[in-house]
Amino acid sequence: MDVGELLAALPEDEFPSTANAEWARLRLREILVDLAQRPTPASSLHRFWTVSELSGQIALAYLTIWIRQWFSDAGAGKRRMMETNLRVALKLFHRLSYLRGAITKLGQAAANLPGLLPQQVADTLDRLHFDAPPMHYPLIREVVRNEFQKGAQEVFAGFETEAFAAASLGQVHRARLKSGEPVAVKIQYPGIARTIDADFRNLSALLLPLRLGKDWESAKSHFEEIRRMLNQEVDYHQEAESTRLARELFRPEDGIVVPRVHAAYSGKRVLTTDFIEGLHLPAYLATNPTQASRNAFGTKILVAWNRMYYAFMPYADPNPGNYLFLSDGRLGLIDFGCVQHYGPEEREIATLADRMSFEDPSLVREVIRRVCGLSADDPAMPEYLQMMEASRDWMMEPLRHSGPFDFGDEGHFQRGMALLADNARKRRTRAHPMYVYWNRSIYSIQAMLYRLRAQIDVHEIIRRERPL
Amino acid sequence: MRITGEAKNETRQRILEAAITLFAADGWHNTTTRGIAVAAKIATGTLFNYFPTKEAIAATLVADALQRANEEFRAGGRDSGSLEGDLFTLVWSGLSNLREFRKFIAPACETIFSPLARPSTVSPGDAIRVDHLELVDETITFHGLPGTRSALAIQIYWTLYLGVFAFWAADESPGQEDTLALLHQSIKLFVESLTEV
Repeated sequence: MDVGELLAALPEDEFPSTANAEWARLRLREILVDLAQRPTPASSLHRFWTVSELSGQIALAYLTIWIRQWFSDAGAGKRRMMETNLRVALKLFHRLSYLRGAITKLGQAAANLPGLLPQQVADTLDRLHFDAPPMHYPLIREVVRNEFQKGAQEVFAGFETEAFAAASLGQVHRARLKSGEPVAVKIQYPGIARTIDADFRNLSALLLPLRLGKDWESAKSHFEEIRRMLNQEVDYHQEAESTRLARELFRPEDGIVVPRVHAAYSGKRVLTTDFIEGLHLPAYLATNPTQASRNAFGTKILVAWNRMYYAFMPYADPNPGNYLFLSDGRLGLIDFGCVQHYGPEEREIATLADRMSFEDPSLVREVIRRVCGLSADDPAMPEYLQMMEASRDWMMEPLRHSGPFDFGDEGHFQRGMALLADNARKRRTRAHPMYVYWNRSIYSIQAMLYRLRAQIDVHEIIRRERPL
Repeated sequence: MRITGEAKNETRQRILEAAITLFAADGWHNTTTRGIAVAAKIATGTLFNYFPTKEAIAATLVADALQRANEEFRAGGRDSGSLEGDLFTLVWSGLSNLREFRKFIAPACETIFSPLARPSTVSPGDAIRVDHLELVDETITFHGLPGTRSALAIQIYWTLYLGVFAFWAADESPGQEDTLALLHQSIKLFVESLTEV
C-alpha cells in the first residue's frame, strides 16, 4: 500500500456525510488489518521500510481527514478543486524527505494510543521507537570525524560499531570514555537537520490553496510550532542544555535518573551521555511485574512529568522509548530533544489554566480567551466552553477519586480518546501553539499509564509538585 | 645530455604542483598548458613530453590521489563487515584524498570522465575508472556475491559514482555532510540493485 492507494481511497466527488472521526477510525482499521495480515519480509531492511511505511500511512490517514475537514463546508465546485489540490499536495508531501520522518513520528504517537489501534499493530509500531534506518560504521566514523576531527575509535577508549537503539533521526552507540565510564553516544544522520526549514516551506506552499476559514491562522501557528520544535530536536547543543536543566530538577530520593551530558564528547550532531542500563516499557511488562512495581514506576512517570511542567519545561514527547525501567526500581529519562521551554507568555497562560483547574473554575472564559483567542461574544464560545469543561473534567477524574486512581480503567481512557476524537471532528482546533505538544504529552502520558495499569495517588503527587 | 629518472620525476612533480596552484587560483577553464609550463619553469614543448594535454595533467592528479586511497583500502579498508560499508569507505576515502583539488575537480572531471562505464582506455580518465571498477568488483566478490557483474550493474554503479562525485565537488554543507548522506543512500541503492539486475 502506498500513498497512491491512500489517495485512491479518497472519494472522488462528495465528501461522505459519514466522514467523521468514526469513519476515519474504521477506514484506518481496515488499512491496518490488511497490512498486519501481510507476511513479514525476510530482510531486515525491507522489514524496516515496511514498518516505517505503515506508520507513515497511519499518520497520512489522519492528516488526510484533518485537512479535508478544513473545507468540508465549502461548495461542491470549490471542494472538487480543493480535492485536486489535496491530491497533488499529498503526492508531493510524500516526497518531502524530512517530513516523512516527521509523520513517522506522528505514527509513533498513534501507536502509543492503544484505544485507537488494534493491539498487534500497536505492538509492531512500538518497535519504531527503538529501530531506525541503520547507519553503518564507516558513515558513523565520518560523522564523528566531522564533529571532533578524529575518528570514534580515537575519541573514545572503546566504541561499539553496532548501534543499540534508534534516536531522533539517528542512532545510539555504546562507548567507553578514556576514564572508563560507559556512555551512550547519540549520532545524527548527516544533513537531515538542514532540510527541515526547506521541507516546511514546501509544505506551506503546497497547503496554500487549501487555506480556508477562520482556523487557518491557528493551524499555521501550529505548523510553525512543530517546525520550531523539530529544529530544536535535531539541535544536540539544545538537547544537552535541556538535559542539564532537567537533571537539576531531580534529587536522589526521587528515584528518577537523568543522565549526565559529557560536553567534551558532544557537539552539534553527536551527544554523549551516561549509559543507563534498563528495560523499555514492553520488555518491562514482559517480566510480569507486580502491581506494586507498576504503581511505583507509574508514580515516578507522573512525578517526572509534573516536576518538569511546573518548572515550565514540559517533557513534550513522553513516548515509551524515552523511559527506562531500572532493575533497582528507579526510572530513567533518556531523551530531552523534545522539551518545551516556556517564555513569559506561555508561563502566564500555564499558570492561569492551572488556577482554573485547581482553584477557580470560573476562570474558564478567561482561559479560552487567552488560549483559543476567542472574545466573550464569539459565536464559537459556547462550544469551546463545553470542550474546555469536558477536558478539565476528564483530566481531573484521577483527582476527584479518593486514594490511588486506576489508570488501567478502560472507561477513563476511552472517555479521553472520545474527547480527542470529538474535538478533532468538530474542528475545535483553535489554541495557542504551546498546546500542540502539551495535548500530545497529556495523551501520551495517559496511554503509558494505561498500558502500565498503574494505580497512582495523584492527589499526593499534585500536593507535592504543584507550587503554592 | 641524458636526463636521469630522478630528474624526470622531479620535473613531472614540478608540473603537477604548478598545475594544482594554477587550477586552484585561476580555475580549470582559465588555466593553460603554457601557463603551467611557465609556472613550472620549463619550456612548453618540454611539458608536452610529460603530458599531452591539460586533461592528462588533471587525470594524473586524480589518478595519483585515488591510487593512494585504493592502496590504503586494499591494505585494510574492507573492515566494516558489510558490502555497503566497505564500498562507502572506498568511495569516501578517494574523495577525501581529492579534497585539496575540490575547487577545480568538477570541470576537469567533466572532461576526463566518460559517463559510460565502457571497458576501453582511450581518454585520460578511463584508466582511473577501470581501476576503480576492478576494486568495486573485488569488494563485491570479497563479500561473497559470486560471478561477474553484469554490464547494467556496472553502469548503475558508475552513474551513481559520478553523481556523488559531481555533487561532492560543489557541496558547501558543513563537512560535506550532504555528500555523506547521498553516498550512503547511493551505495545502498546499488547494493540492493545487485540482487535484482
